[in-house]
Amino acid sequence: MFKNFWKKPLGFKFATLWLFFVVFITVTYDLFPFVKWDRISDMSQGDGPFKVPGHFLGTSYDGLDMFTALMHGARMSTFVAVVSVVVGGGIGSILGITAAYYRGTYDKIMSSMFNMMLAIPNLVMSLALISVLANGNNSHPATNTRRLIVLTISLTIVIIPILGRIARSSTLQWSSREFVLASKSIGTKNLQIIKSHIVPNVAPAILAIGFFAVGVVMIAEGSLSILGIGIPGGASWGSLLAIGRANLEYAPHEVYLPVLCIAFTVISTNYFGDYIRANLDKRESKI
Amino acid sequence: MSNVLEVTNLSITFDTPRGNLRAVNDATIALEQGESIGVVGESGSGKTVLSRAIMGLLPGTATRTGSIKYMGKEISDLPEKELRELWGTGMAMIFQDPMTTLNPVRRIGSQLTESLTVRLKLSKKEAHEQAIELLRRVRIPDPEGMMRKFPYQLSGGMRQRIMIAIAVSCKPELLFADEPTTALDVTVQAQVLELLTELRKEFNMAMILVTHDLGVVAGHTDKIAVMYAGDVVEMAATRELFTNMKMPYTEALLKSIPRLETPTGTRLPVIEGRLPDPTKNEPGCPFANRCPYVADKCRAEKPPLKDTGNGHLYRCWFPIGGEK
Repeated sequence: MFKNFWKKPLGFKFATLWLFFVVFITVTYDLFPFVKWDRISDMSQGDGPFKVPGHFLGTSYDGLDMFTALMHGARMSTFVAVVSVVVGGGIGSILGITAAYYRGTYDKIMSSMFNMMLAIPNLVMSLALISVLANGNNSHPATNTRRLIVLTISLTIVIIPILGRIARSSTLQWSSREFVLASKSIGTKNLQIIKSHIVPNVAPAILAIGFFAVGVVMIAEGSLSILGIGIPGGASWGSLLAIGRANLEYAPHEVYLPVLCIAFTVISTNYFGDYIRANLDKRESKI
Repeated sequence: MSNVLEVTNLSITFDTPRGNLRAVNDATIALEQGESIGVVGESGSGKTVLSRAIMGLLPGTATRTGSIKYMGKEISDLPEKELRELWGTGMAMIFQDPMTTLNPVRRIGSQLTESLTVRLKLSKKEAHEQAIELLRRVRIPDPEGMMRKFPYQLSGGMRQRIMIAIAVSCKPELLFADEPTTALDVTVQAQVLELLTELRKEFNMAMILVTHDLGVVAGHTDKIAVMYAGDVVEMAATRELFTNMKMPYTEALLKSIPRLETPTGTRLPVIEGRLPDPTKNEPGCPFANRCPYVADKCRAEKPPLKDTGNGHLYRCWFPIGGEK
């Protein structure tokens, strides 16, 4: 897939480099000797990019260095998105694949459950979960860690039916193929058939949609932050955006920088999803 | 010799939205060790359903009556869990289209060793060696290299050889070949059939060869059962069937094989008309509407299965060559 990297289309190069960059920062953020991301600068407040030395992306209206804040935000946003897609996708795939393979009542229950979950808009669902589970009272407000965990869980729940349905429909298609019957007729057990015949065929479709799902979750996390129930205190891109909204007149870069970061990441993941799916179709036509 | 398979009065009906579809009526077949039987009939005559029913691979919408005995043991009412013990080591099946029976994303080697490690509990290394030996047995050149190939790199004939290797890998007593050569090139057909017959003799397997082509079964089976609309309409030893044909349907099937000596431009002979609707249970012989020798009695009453006395069974009021 990365063979002849420099001959690939510009979009592919950009998407790869950007995602690599984001993942790199996420993993190694703690190793950098940067200023602590939430230290307030006394010298510069609300200056745009390339205006003051030492803050090359400028500072927020409150005096945060935008570059460090964005790097820190990258970590939190990626963490939430990747964890909820991996966990939600894993659970969804297991439920979807087993439902489509075994059919019967179990399948009926699973698909109606997926449909019911999909009928509730993502944001409303997360909103409800967070307000119920991560809402302390005035004297004991919910801790940030608790809010982060509940946010991740609620986004995981949003992802389960999306990937579950993809896994189910893909499995339906593959499990009716003759090679499954052929394997069955030499006495292979069901779990073994799922492991060696269904999963390798279904995995690329799930992977492609999984990349899309990362984008969806990232946007959902940003929206929740703007609604005031995301990760508080500017710890993620969405959260930086939520703070910056109030200072839009004086420091517009405080809004457009995180927006650009979210947009680049979502575009990159979508591009990757598309790329995997296109290659998948190519392979499919070879069979 | 003991019978490997004894099927008695087997009937299969499918519950469909249009009503009960009768796919197989009262089929009775017995097969000795090492013996092979050809099941012949046109599309929709129930031959594939029959073989899958014996194996126990039918979907849940099918209902089954009658008895199926494998090695003297009744297997028609066994749950899938116990049947699975038989699959592979007792009975195995080769399917029609080798293009779809191999998993496109896995290498030949891993698909071939799967049954060996899972069913025969061989170690990875032993399985690998045995798989190469199997590939050699089905006459595949460069078996070592073949183990690393993907199915899309192979031709249809090669894939069918691989499928045969997988089916015989656990040395089953009974092999079902469901139209094994239909999807193949004519030049490869003969080779694959030769291979099947050779393996059958070597492993002393009983074989059920399902096909629509009388020519295919002619040289490769001991017995032939001709099926029409779910009924076994004629059954006899291969030589007896070809020399002393009783059923007009069998004759019509044989006539519809194109011949080399006919002049160019001759219309291919066909059997006019279609199979009767399997959801309706009409009186009379099901072949009556297409039979050249039809009489009033044929439309009124369904003929019973008669025996000429030497194991030649047929289902006709007015057999070719008269009674006896």
